[in-house]
Amino acid sequence: MNGRIDRSIDLGPYVAAPDDGMIICRCEEVTKGEIRRAVHDGMFTITEIRRYLRTGMGLCQGQTCARLVKQIVAKELDVSPDVLEDAVARAPFRPVPMRVLANEAEGRTR
Amino acid sequence: MERYELIVVGAGPAGLSAAIEAAKAGMKTVVFDENAKPGGQLFKQIHKFFGSKEHKAKIRGYNIGETLLREAETCGVEVVLNATVAGVYEGRELTVMQGDSIKHFKGDSIVVATGASENMVTFPGWTLPGVIGAGAAQTMMNLHGIKPGSRVLMLGTGNVGLVVSYQLLQAGCEVVALVDASKKIGGYGVHAAKVARTGVPFYLSHTIVAVHGEDCVKGVTIGEVDAAWQVIPGSEKTFDVDTVCLAVGLSPMAQLVKSAGCEMNGIVPAVDAYGATSVPGIYAAGDVSGIEEASSAMIEGRIAGAAAAYQAGYLEKSDFESIVTAHEASLGSLREGMFGPKQRGRVQTVTEEGIVLSQSLLTKGYLDESDLAHFPSIQHGKTGVYPVIECTQNIPCNPCQDACVKGCILIGNDITSLPVINAEATCTGCGMCVASCSGQAIFLVEEKPLESTAYVSFPYEFLPLPEKGDRGIALDRSGAPICDAEITAVRTGKAMDQTHVVTMKVPLDYASTARFFRRR
Ligand code: SF4
Ligand code: SF4
Repeated sequence: MNGRIDRSIDLGPYVAAPDDGMIICRCEEVTKGEIRRAVHDGMFTITEIRRYLRTGMGLCQGQTCARLVKQIVAKELDVSPDVLEDAVARAPFRPVPMRVLANEAEGRTR
Repeated sequence: MERYELIVVGAGPAGLSAAIEAAKAGMKTVVFDENAKPGGQLFKQIHKFFGSKEHKAKIRGYNIGETLLREAETCGVEVVLNATVAGVYEGRELTVMQGDSIKHFKGDSIVVATGASENMVTFPGWTLPGVIGAGAAQTMMNLHGIKPGSRVLMLGTGNVGLVVSYQLLQAGCEVVALVDASKKIGGYGVHAAKVARTGVPFYLSHTIVAVHGEDCVKGVTIGEVDAAWQVIPGSEKTFDVDTVCLAVGLSPMAQLVKSAGCEMNGIVPAVDAYGATSVPGIYAAGDVSGIEEASSAMIEGRIAGAAAAYQAGYLEKSDFESIVTAHEASLGSLREGMFGPKQRGRVQTVTEEGIVLSQSLLTKGYLDESDLAHFPSIQHGKTGVYPVIECTQNIPCNPCQDACVKGCILIGNDITSLPVINAEATCTGCGMCVASCSGQAIFLVEEKPLESTAYVSFPYEFLPLPEKGDRGIALDRSGAPICDAEITAVRTGKAMDQTHVVTMKVPLDYASTARFFRRR
């Protein structure tokens, strides 16, 4: 699906918007302006945005902001949000404390 | 590594139903749920469900949850709580976090019933404490007994927004307004009407402009939107609230199916008629495979559980087919009607019966006087006590028909048909239809021209209950005060399941408008 996004499109200059300061990803405190700017920096897919800004990488794992980020990116690219592929779903689906993972590595549990 | 024949992820209505069906057939079944309590959303649902008897209509959600849990226990389903499924790997292996450790499990089959999460919308102030999801409000009220706030504004008029608004009122909160950017109320008219008659205003084509407050919600400003969804300058209205509830839709929690490599259809996994995904042995049921009501989720779960059992050789083909046929018919009937998936996005102006739909109900939340004449179930001017059924949309529901032993109310075999009054039968005024109606849409009226009074009975689910002799004010369908009223009877009974039937005496002229009561 990402193939449909034209990498060479000209987005024009970044124009600051009054609500740029609004937080979109609460866990990682990423603002709307940062997401819009990232698109202008060339981050055209949700995965790129995610790696660039850490949106959806916090406690809720994007449960709250994934749709919101997608809408903002889509609007900036002037495409339908459906064109944008969601970020890859990977384990752990829920936050797992490092301590718990370490327990497994040390063989403290079966 | 522990092995189960079936692992179900999520102990909500779909997951429990799948586990029951599979365990009944003989499968060694476990259900993992990350929560401390099973039941998913069911235990937050304190309203009576729609549907027909086979869908557990007129039973409150939490009672349905209790029944499911008991059934699961009887069938030998193992339900493991505080167990978070963290990953899925090759060969249907799951990693599950329990306490301080990660455990590995392998399922011959897996049913994913992870449900959905609430959507959010953004506006200045949306991250302030006090802006909460409607589901969160329900959790606070109905699971933990905590009032989410004192003065609440609800954004969203789908069934979730309507039902939760009513529950907020029941919890003693003041709901200052129901707001929706859409032009029409999204949920059932009967749900809207029971909120409207308490006096809550609806603002359609409105959205939240901003929520105010420094460190918590102190107020909210809404504004009317034009065709391009832009706020019309000058249309802003500000309310003094401490809570803003968002009921703006749900999104399937599909990480597990995605990560397992199941083919997706947009945001939901592509599934066949039995809930099987593209990955052999992995099924999806309930909201994760498409947002619907809990009633549908339970049936989808049953079908997926039976399919897994059949695949594993625990069910004969003929048994499997008869289970599926019965459930599919039952699911089909729930999906009919104005709110069914086939109608999504379509503009509807008339009912299946060809009656013009009430625009007032769709925009203000209540039936206008001028609509009443169109609907044959809304009668007036008869002798003796008679039912008035203010149910005017094709929703899948028929408990009213079953409730009346006198046969006064007819819906027929198609449960989405509008209820009609059987002219042959005589109403005794027993009140069972009033208490059984999941939409609280049935009233009893008895006109006494000689005394110039009328007795109006209506469903009541608030505490404290009015008492016989109480004097107050009758409210009309919009919640506006219209006349003096005196309570003449309050009926309560086990079969009524906490929908009390309250009767008030009003002047004769108000027989067809007085629909609710407020103490002075
Ligand atoms: S009040 Fe009783 S008799 Fe009358 S319509 Fe309702 S259920 Fe039937
Ligand atoms: S009148 Fe009948 S069909 Fe309508 S909501 Fe009530 S019980 Fe359901």
